[in-house]
Amino acid sequence: MSNGNLITVQDLCVHYPLGRSLFGEPPVVRAIDKVSLDIPRGSFFGLVGESGSGKTTLGRSILKAAPITSGHVAYRDEDVDYDVAALNKSQLKDYRKRAQLIFQDPYAALSPRMTVRDIIAEPLEVMGLTSSRKETDERVREMAAKCRLNLEHLRRFPHAFSGGQRQRISIARALVCRPKFIVADESVAALDVSIQADILNLLKSLQEEMDLTFLFISHDLSVIAHVCDHVAVMYLGRLVESAPTRQLFANPWHPYTQALLSAIPSLDPDDAGDSIKLEGEIPSPLAPPPGCKFHTRCRFAQDRCKTEEPALRELDDEHFTSCHFAEELSGA
Amino acid sequence: MTEPLISVRDLTVRFKSDEGLVTAVDGVSFDIAPGEILGLVGESGSGKSVTAKALMQLNGDNAIYDESGSITLNTGEETVDVLSLKRPKDMMVIRGGAVSMIFQEPMASFAPAITIGDQMVEQLQIHSSISKKRAEEISVEMLDRVGISDPSKRLKQYAFEFSGGMRQRAMIAMALSTKPKLLIADEPTTALDVTIQAQVIDLMRDLVSEFGMAILFITHDLGVIAQTADRVAVMYLGNLVETGAVRQVIGEPAHPYTNGLLNALPRLDDLDAPLVAVPGDIPSPLDRPTGCVFNTRCSQVIAGTCEREIPTATQLRDDHVCYCFAVAAGQDGQKAL
Repeated sequence: MSNGNLITVQDLCVHYPLGRSLFGEPPVVRAIDKVSLDIPRGSFFGLVGESGSGKTTLGRSILKAAPITSGHVAYRDEDVDYDVAALNKSQLKDYRKRAQLIFQDPYAALSPRMTVRDIIAEPLEVMGLTSSRKETDERVREMAAKCRLNLEHLRRFPHAFSGGQRQRISIARALVCRPKFIVADESVAALDVSIQADILNLLKSLQEEMDLTFLFISHDLSVIAHVCDHVAVMYLGRLVESAPTRQLFANPWHPYTQALLSAIPSLDPDDAGDSIKLEGEIPSPLAPPPGCKFHTRCRFAQDRCKTEEPALRELDDEHFTSCHFAEELSGA
Repeated sequence: MTEPLISVRDLTVRFKSDEGLVTAVDGVSFDIAPGEILGLVGESGSGKSVTAKALMQLNGDNAIYDESGSITLNTGEETVDVLSLKRPKDMMVIRGGAVSMIFQEPMASFAPAITIGDQMVEQLQIHSSISKKRAEEISVEMLDRVGISDPSKRLKQYAFEFSGGMRQRAMIAMALSTKPKLLIADEPTTALDVTIQAQVIDLMRDLVSEFGMAILFITHDLGVIAQTADRVAVMYLGNLVETGAVRQVIGEPAHPYTNGLLNALPRLDDLDAPLVAVPGDIPSPLDRPTGCVFNTRCSQVIAGTCEREIPTATQLRDDHVCYCFAVAAGQDGQKAL
């Protein structure tokens, strides 16, 4: 990664106050709490966690689509260097050209009353990236071809398309303004397996072709394992582990990562014995437990875990974890 | 061999719609033995939910069942011809009596304005003549059995006060409290996180050995099937394409579609394996291909045959059955050698 980090997140907090309280502070949902991570340029960076872990909020706050309470998000490419929290209006407009989002549900993301051509062309028109209709059409056609949509598709409305085709339309729309950074939020979760593979392969080939950096958000570790080169694991608004994919899957340090990995149902009917079962469920972010957020479900929890919050530590090259006892648990 | 608990023969379900008759399930046959878990796998639109709902006659009024098809339920005490049931009173045996169902989205399955306890008690009282007090006791016992702590307090709560995993547990407790012979589980873990999914799968496995009931487990996740089912049936566009013991179907898949599904699945044991998508999209049920329904996406299509004729069953090993011309041709070839 000689060309540095495209996104640098430092001590990011996203807190949502709940209503107003007559006395004292209103309760606060800590959706993201003190998260730091670097996304290297050209990487396919995976973000995994269960529902309520804050992975979507993190993706959105990097795009400045969720409010940043404190901390820094920096975006740096060849031309610009932005402090995302403090973008002014014209900078934000420019940032939107550089950073885009692909949504989860291809049925909800596309307007039913616009043709596919108009859907893909809209970002170009809104951002004023093209000067004539002819130029717009050219860009749309070029992008549609890259996403394996044919010309005849462009005249139709979204209802005529299957889930996989709709997701290709969403991808074309996100990429038509030639962004550098893409947040793909559960972009294959709504698709059938046989289609999912096709979209994953498409994203990978577009990444190479267009020199993109991805933040790929998913709850599915096996999908992450196949497409991402780096993985960060979140739990209750915190980063618990971050490592190059191979390393994380070969040698998970955090007890939560270990449990997540072993909870994936294996295709081998005889391979059920040694899985680590987590008790209970993810606590409410309104009342997160003190100390290590995971101690209520951790089978190794000790007294120290209940009071002292572990910091994210680099234990190996690029492999970070936030567990007091990571060394002992991994047997190192 | 013991008498099957439920026997589905040549089940065909069509729906009346504005655009004409839509065939959702086409000539599906399978048996479930008492105490057996049959996994029904398929992608969206494959007809797996319609098949399951047919067992309880839960498909809408616009559903048409072909005369030739039959569903026979053998509870041990009586034999019921499910499709001939007409009166709601007669249907009680398949709706919560001998057959129970749990759904994908537990929030949508509980009434939001009635406590969990009242809902559990109500259905117990409908299906048996026990007192309200006894029904409450049974409900508390069941909630405790599925691992909900402080069940007597939970009984007085509403569905929104439960978390997703707990709702699904309560759903299972409710479905099992009438001691059904067959539980239909329609994507019971799809809406849950993996760690909760693992808990629910464990719970269902325990309950099967404890209560000795059979389960029809519907899912699109082959991993979940591998971990729960004894036998598996793979559906595509309303047709059964392959059935057999779970080890055989997943270990030695025969049908090109089953193969395609497995190749498209990201596997943790081999991160370098490329993901191979099944080419094309599932055709619309309004526009079902002629011949073998999979011929438009199949890599082993035999020109002149697959798009014209409907494949029949090819027996592989034991009760491993596959509906495919290419597989049948391969079998014949082996026999000739």
